[in-house]
Amino acid sequence: MDFFTSFRICGSGLEAQRAKMDVVVSNLANVNTTKTPEGGPYKRKVIVLTAEALNESFDSKLRDALKKVHVESVVEEQEGLRQVYDPNHPHANEQGFVAYPNVNVVSEMADMITASRAYEASVTAFDATKNMALKTLDIGK
Amino acid sequence: MKPTAVRGEWIAPESTIRKPAGEQATSKASFGKALTDALKDVNQLQFEADQAIRNLEVGKTGSLHEAMIALEKADISFRAMMQVRNKILDAYQEIMRMQV
Repeated sequence: MDFFTSFRICGSGLEAQRAKMDVVVSNLANVNTTKTPEGGPYKRKVIVLTAEALNESFDSKLRDALKKVHVESVVEEQEGLRQVYDPNHPHANEQGFVAYPNVNVVSEMADMITASRAYEASVTAFDATKNMALKTLDIGK
Repeated sequence: MKPTAVRGEWIAPESTIRKPAGEQATSKASFGKALTDALKDVNQLQFEADQAIRNLEVGKTGSLHEAMIALEKADISFRAMMQVRNKILDAYQEIMRMQV
């Protein structure tokens, strides 16, 4: 059924926004993490989304046009680490400075709101598509 | 995409019935056959929804929205199947009401 194509695109959107939320939550949780297994403080993670072709539609025009979201990668932002003077901290360097993550809580909150609103939008689109399908079944009643 | 009941199998028997020549070959294409085919596809989607919920509950890879989407797919295909069934039953009852 063609409605299932929309469902699949909505699903990819939900998946992407959920992944974005995961990344934001990870950033927020590690806002004060000064050491990671890779060494150095936690670095802010940014999600990279790409459009992916959806080769399932039977309509040739739609087949080229429709794209679903694909989580390509999660990259680390290297710049902007906060240097705080705290000589007693176990992770302090020789000068007594501790490197704190480059996570800005306010911008993470904004990202979180963006992700949750985009998620809601995908859910609404899904519901609207579902209602369309159900309306179609009412034909002839 | 997997062909569903409404798209594929449902139209095929109807077109074969119209052919008067190949009567013996198409004698299997009946209302019953059409309904069984439709049921099989709907059943498959129900099974997938079941599997998605199970994966979610055991904490496997499945995610919540995938399970919900599988459930909705199963729901819609089931409703579509019910409409097909209603139409077939209507036609059947109409025939049974015929005065001879």
